[in-house]
Amino acid sequence: MSKWAMVIDLDKCTGCGDCIAACKIENNIAIVDPEEANSGRVMFWIEMVSVYEGEFPNIKIKRFPKPCFHCENPPCTKVCPVHATYKNDEGLVGQIYHRCIGCRYCMVACPYTVKVFNWYEPEWPVEFRKCFNPDVSVRTKGVVEKCSFCAHRLIKVKEEVDLEGRDIQDGDYMPACAESCPADAIYFGDLENKESKVYNLAKSSRAKREMENLGTEPKVVYLSKRE
Amino acid sequence: MKLNVVNVLIPIIAIVFIFALWVLFAGQSPIIQPISYNHKVHIEEAGLECIDCHKYAESMTRASIPNIDLCEDCHGDEPISKSPEEKKLIEFIEQKQNIPWKQIYSVPDHVYFSHRRHVVIGELNCSNCHGNVSELTAPAQYPFLIPSMGNCIDCHKQLKITNDCLACHF
Ligand code: HEC
Ligand code: HEC
Ligand code: HEC
Ligand code: HEC
Ligand code: HEC
Repeated sequence: MSKWAMVIDLDKCTGCGDCIAACKIENNIAIVDPEEANSGRVMFWIEMVSVYEGEFPNIKIKRFPKPCFHCENPPCTKVCPVHATYKNDEGLVGQIYHRCIGCRYCMVACPYTVKVFNWYEPEWPVEFRKCFNPDVSVRTKGVVEKCSFCAHRLIKVKEEVDLEGRDIQDGDYMPACAESCPADAIYFGDLENKESKVYNLAKSSRAKREMENLGTEPKVVYLSKRE
Repeated sequence: MKLNVVNVLIPIIAIVFIFALWVLFAGQSPIIQPISYNHKVHIEEAGLECIDCHKYAESMTRASIPNIDLCEDCHGDEPISKSPEEKKLIEFIEQKQNIPWKQIYSVPDHVYFSHRRHVVIGELNCSNCHGNVSELTAPAQYPFLIPSMGNCIDCHKQLKITNDCLACHF
């Protein structure tokens, strides 16, 4: 069984935000109007987090993209009363929108705050409505959503691979953010495959896992020389 | 005045019962196509195969339903049968208007179903899910196998295929 994971090299990441744009388009994520966004209802599946350090004028800005961490031991799935969010055999944390009753327990449980709630019927400017990605359903009001590691791409890749009669290889399955990154800072692959890039990078001395002490075992690993 | 419980209850029960029946049957009204298309004639007399008309059944997720640009190849200005249904078809072709076929089999947009996966990799026959279409002399009015989650899962269970939510739902 595969175990899908992401490695983000912050020494390469320029904070350009291409991954965020690619993700929004790939996954038909609603565009929230600025006022609502300011009140914390903005919708992202991968978000650019900025951390400011030091005193003016010697400010250092750290920027890093933050998708769902697809924890090996996810706190969010344990609190779902209806089994709408769960971890599958390949380590993906799924969110089944039509099963979700919108209680938002999972949003509270997630220490990384990567889950977002549809407060309204999702909206887009008119031009956007014509170019939805047909592989991803448009969510409805009142459900929680989050990064899926582009699981819809995995099912298609599996179909292609089965047709060719071979096993899935490193690089076959790439989420939209990893594919779009102009700095090649996002790696994606199978931790069970010892030849994969992520397997080797995740063991690097630069590897850091967010809030490791919680025991969530996130499958998104950051690489950074800085502390 | 004392209310007679039975006299009040019986009409209420009757009304509820009739309403329930009505809901039950209204939900299953047959689907009537704009042209009474005959599968049998086209397979036996015209010698066509499913793939000739449902072009993408082996290469994509959707099988696709053919329309006038395909029918034109054989049905032109001169009718080739005495069927009144063919006249309707020729009218559509003359007006260059697509036939508004109604789709009987469909899954909602949050479900991923791939014909290629089932027909080519799974080696299933069309008849496993659509019944014996080549014997149909008129369009099907009801699905043979309703594409409900229960039916998908039943077959997957029997054949030991994944029933992970993330295989079907995005
Ligand atoms: C000449 C072209 C042609 C051929 C050959 C053909 N079909 Fe069709 N098929 C149609 C048309 C037109 C319709 C739409 C009218 C209807 O529902 O009967 C249709 C409808 C269907 C539908 C119902 C789709 C829906 O959801 O409404 C199924 C299932 C189907 N065909 C299966 C088959 C199978 C299986 C074969 C091979 C045994 C086949 N067809 C051969 C033209 C064709
Ligand atoms: C390869 C040639 C061919 C194509 C393509 C074709 N047909 Fe036909 N069609 C025939 C033949 C042959 C008959 C039978 C004529 C007869 O009755 O002898 C027929 C008969 C019919 C009839 C009358 C049959 C009956 O008994 O009710 C209808 C209606 C019809 N076709 C509709 C269509 C439609 C709609 C399409 C496009 C989806 C289509 N056909 C495409 C060859 C074709
Ligand atoms: C495992 C079951 C299954 C098998 C096998 C199968 N189908 Fe389907 N078919 C479906 C389902 C489910 C839908 C509804 C799909 C949707 O809405 O996207 C459908 C829809 C269709 C439609 C109408 C809509 C469309 O464009 O997809 C046609 C035509 C069709 N099938 C033809 C075929 C033919 C021809 C074959 C054999 C080559 C076949 N099917 C084999 C389950 C099946
Ligand atoms: C008649 C049996 C049958 C029915 C009904 C059926 N399937 Fe399948 N399904 C199969 C088979 C066989 C395969 C495996 C193909 C293969 O060998 O990879 C499969 C595979 C799949 C896969 C790919 C699973 C994987 O391992 O990646 C998906 C997704 C799927 N089916 C969805 C559906 C949906 C949605 C429905 C209902 C609308 C459905 N199936 C109904 C027989 C069926
Ligand atoms: C083999 C494919 C398949 C699998 C696996 C599957 N589903 Fe479904 N599911 C469907 C189909 C097809 C429908 C649409 C049924 C319909 O429209 O009647 C559906 C519908 C639903 C609905 C109803 C949506 C509504 O609007 O009423 C929910 C909720 C749901 N699925 C949840 C789940 C959950 C949770 C799992 C995992 C435990 C799961 N499904 C696994 C195929 C699947």
